[in-house]
Amino acid sequence: MNETHAAKNGVAAESWRDRLTRWRYDYWPDHVLGEILAKRWMETAIPVTVLLIVAFVLSEAIPNFLSAASLADTGRQAGEIGFIVLGMALVMIVGGIDLSVGSMFALTNFCALFLMHVLKWPVAAAIPVTLIFGAMLGAVNGILIGIFRLRAFLTTLITLIIYRALYELLTADYATAIAGGMPDSEMWDFIGYGEWAGIPVVVYVYAAIAIMGHILLTRLRPGWHITAIGGSRRSAYNSGIAVRRTVTMCYVSSGVLTAIGGIFFASRLATAGGDIGVGLEVTVLTAAVLGGISLGGGKGSVMKALVGTLIVLLIINGLTTMSLDGGYNRMVLGAILLLAAAIDIRWLKNKHRIVNKVYVSPTYHALPPAPSTAADCGTPWAINDRLRPATAIGLGRIEGPEDVILDRNDNLYAGSRHGDIVRFLAPDYEKMEIFAHIGGTPLGMAFDRNDNLYVCIGGMGLYRVTPERKVEKVTDETNRSYSSVNDDSRLRLADDLDITDDGLIFFSEATVRFEMHEWATDGLEARGNGRIICYDTNTGTTNTVIRNLKFPNGVCIASDGKSFLFAETWGCTVKRYWFDGPKKGKTEIVLDNLPGFPDNINNSSDGNYWMSLVGMRCPALDLAWRMPGFRTRMAKRVPRDEWLFPNINTGCVLKFNENGDVLETLWDMGGKNHPMITSMREHRGYLYLGGIMNNRIGRIKLDNVDTSFVQYDKRWGKS
Amino acid sequence: MIDSILKLTDRLLGRGDAAITVPVFDGPLKANNVIEAAEVLDSLEAAQDLATDGQHLFVANGTCVLRYKGNVSEKIHDFEAPVTAIACLPDGGIAVSLAGREVLVVGGDYDGRRWGGSGDIQFYAVNAITASTDGLLLVTDGSVGRSTAHWKTDLMSLGASGRVFELNPANGNIRSVASGLSYAYGVCYADGAAWVSESWRHRLVAFRNDHSPKAVISGLPGYPSRLSPAAGGGYWLTCFVLRTQLVEFVLREHSFRKRMLKEVEPQYWIAPALNSGNTFLEPMQGAHLKMMGVVKPWAPPRSYGLIIRLNNNGEILYSLHSRFDGKNHGVVAAVECQGDLYALAQGSQRILKLPLAEAERSARA
Repeated sequence: MNETHAAKNGVAAESWRDRLTRWRYDYWPDHVLGEILAKRWMETAIPVTVLLIVAFVLSEAIPNFLSAASLADTGRQAGEIGFIVLGMALVMIVGGIDLSVGSMFALTNFCALFLMHVLKWPVAAAIPVTLIFGAMLGAVNGILIGIFRLRAFLTTLITLIIYRALYELLTADYATAIAGGMPDSEMWDFIGYGEWAGIPVVVYVYAAIAIMGHILLTRLRPGWHITAIGGSRRSAYNSGIAVRRTVTMCYVSSGVLTAIGGIFFASRLATAGGDIGVGLEVTVLTAAVLGGISLGGGKGSVMKALVGTLIVLLIINGLTTMSLDGGYNRMVLGAILLLAAAIDIRWLKNKHRIVNKVYVSPTYHALPPAPSTAADCGTPWAINDRLRPATAIGLGRIEGPEDVILDRNDNLYAGSRHGDIVRFLAPDYEKMEIFAHIGGTPLGMAFDRNDNLYVCIGGMGLYRVTPERKVEKVTDETNRSYSSVNDDSRLRLADDLDITDDGLIFFSEATVRFEMHEWATDGLEARGNGRIICYDTNTGTTNTVIRNLKFPNGVCIASDGKSFLFAETWGCTVKRYWFDGPKKGKTEIVLDNLPGFPDNINNSSDGNYWMSLVGMRCPALDLAWRMPGFRTRMAKRVPRDEWLFPNINTGCVLKFNENGDVLETLWDMGGKNHPMITSMREHRGYLYLGGIMNNRIGRIKLDNVDTSFVQYDKRWGKS
Repeated sequence: MIDSILKLTDRLLGRGDAAITVPVFDGPLKANNVIEAAEVLDSLEAAQDLATDGQHLFVANGTCVLRYKGNVSEKIHDFEAPVTAIACLPDGGIAVSLAGREVLVVGGDYDGRRWGGSGDIQFYAVNAITASTDGLLLVTDGSVGRSTAHWKTDLMSLGASGRVFELNPANGNIRSVASGLSYAYGVCYADGAAWVSESWRHRLVAFRNDHSPKAVISGLPGYPSRLSPAAGGGYWLTCFVLRTQLVEFVLREHSFRKRMLKEVEPQYWIAPALNSGNTFLEPMQGAHLKMMGVVKPWAPPRSYGLIIRLNNNGEILYSLHSRFDGKNHGVVAAVECQGDLYALAQGSQRILKLPLAEAERSARA
């Protein structure tokens, strides 16, 4: 924004140190790092990076490592092991572990070979039977762990030994028969060696199953149940999920997927040697953990399983190509598993802390010295006690009326922090009723010409209450900006609004980086995180008009009907934007370097504007705003309750005109009645005051004003 | 080398000296409202110190010394400069510090004895005087170069030039007891040693002849100030301001601290103060935000009122408080006289009177 730079240039003699700081923070986007880290895909991004590095290093070190032939071979192995990793992933996501996959792999491999080589069954019969056999092996684990609640680690360790013993007994009897009786089946050979378009069959099958697995985990109920159980078994049980059955089924699936891997392996190598599947559980576990599937359960995806598989295979093949002994192979894998497991645990435990520490990224924000507000300063800013006689409406009955508005029948409306729109009935405003319940935190309000009450709801968006008290959502999203890492299409903190004659609703969104209760963190950053958005009631479309504003707040249509005024709270400015007419698209500064933080803006009876200052600047904060490093460290080291905050315990109401002259101010210096003022409306000679932390609405008689002034009538004409 | 590496890791990780943690009000320091609820004996705009001879309360107010009989005060001395510290001598005289630069005895056997000023010793900020039973005086000189009124500058400049002297009214001798303290503010004789409040290091240090200094109590949640003996044995210690994490943090943020010293007026610094909430130009911290018109009493105290009762070994027995939402802040002196505890709350410019038995009962409740 050029004009904010103009404001910065107004700082008397900006020092070189300040200038360097400003450049540093203007051109280096600190906030992006935290936004990237907070993304969910970050957890997959790290293994993918590792994969790319491993592939690059190995292809540099070993000639032809990534050649087509080598890749096809890797693809075959990847398919076979990949199925097992998928099974392991399922079991791990549900919160368990399956160590018996190596032995199950050997047994299902034997089963397929036995059926094909010895019994000479047709492929169409051998495959289903092998799959069922795998399912039964898995079911043993599943029933013991899922139904009888044995420990997964111990149970699968024991089945690992038993299955292995079984395999050795069987191979002792049938190894020669298997080696001697090659089946004569083209189908069987095709499974083992077949290719389409140079890609092995196993890869297609793997791809199909992986896609199904992805859909299962992310889109289908059983998948959600699996993740839920892994995340918190007890909560899953309490919410009615069939925990035991789901867990059992995960182990069964692991058996079936292992059997698929076994079938492809059998058809390719046709061997029942003694070392098949030995140590496979380490390889598979390493792949799963490297891919980012958490050992703690509840976290994982098919993509992660795939990436982990590829990393592990590339490493194994690389080591094999470099003619390292199998023992080294396993040692390296074991070391990687240890490392990955350690990182997994540390990362999971500390991720949110790292994100919390990195996300808040203050920037350079310089303001000229604030104008004096001393009682003897001789300007309209001089503090006074004019608000002291304010009377309270709804004292103790309403909490947090950020904005107040009056309808054409003199009834008074205000939001509350409970998510209600409260109505006080004219003439004495003693009777209070809930006009509508919306939820969220109702903030700015405006009536349109049909008596609809439009309300900005913090945390929800723009809503409308019809005269029949029906609550309707108007909009809660705008166009996503392409340069933003955070998804900024949802509205986080719609703040204040006004409506043009043509039915355009301009409303401010204070920040796109923080939630409403984190407003002070946005103040700590002092970056232009906010924006002005336009909702067109004629077309029902929403789009962003101005970006990068420092906590835009009050919005008020200007007298020409072609522009609006808006306040930037942390910028301490009021600006005017033309949305129509010859100056269309231009922004001009109306008030600059305010001594406090501007909030809502509304019309006054004499054609000027009322504006509230929600809080006042203090020299220590002004200095801190010029020192982003100080604020960054403060955010990290000091608890939030002890942070240096923008002071919003004292404020005032002021009247200004479109030329940027401040005409008068109204204060309550003791802060007894109105510690905070966030909005005000003039109505029939009175000023009504709202405050987001107050438990009352203030009302004060104005002197020498038009006592017939009703904002509604002025805006939309008398009915 | 290793030391500097350790310091660096400390700074990176916020450990050791770089930690900004502040002890909590726990156990005998549990907060109450005794000081806030105390009876106001008098309101004096320029009161600096309290003293007692066991019969009456003496108050240094501006350039005068007042003596209280019941609720009625009587001006007994008027000096040419503001009195920054006062003590009653066993022989009936009074020792005062004038503008922090001179120590003067009036009345008693050694009437007119003077130290400092044009003499061989230069004082800058004498802020406490105490007399031993054998007639010796102990004085603390807060800092070399900064007057008592500029304690805040000394704190935020990491001042460490406080001194303690022993003065002998009989012959005018001066003996240096300690120097290089991080602000010396308050002293008393205890068991043959001199207990001194080393304010910026949040501790009481015992100086004994021919012994190395020893911390009596350390890690106080506030900055200790004057000490006085309690009737039942033990001592009264005031903490005139408290530590907060934000101030501890700023004290370690040297570039911000130095710019603040240079560019911001002292009353608006991020620093402890004797009173607070006077203007919106003071810095506000998160928990200071008024919700529904109420400010939390446990919010980080920019100003606070605290008196600590110590036993003979310097262990804390109980404490009296005026919390963040109160007014009687900046308690710089407390003396016990005739069954009452008198406290000077500079934040509210009041002399407070607390009936001892009642105060102890409510503090221990």
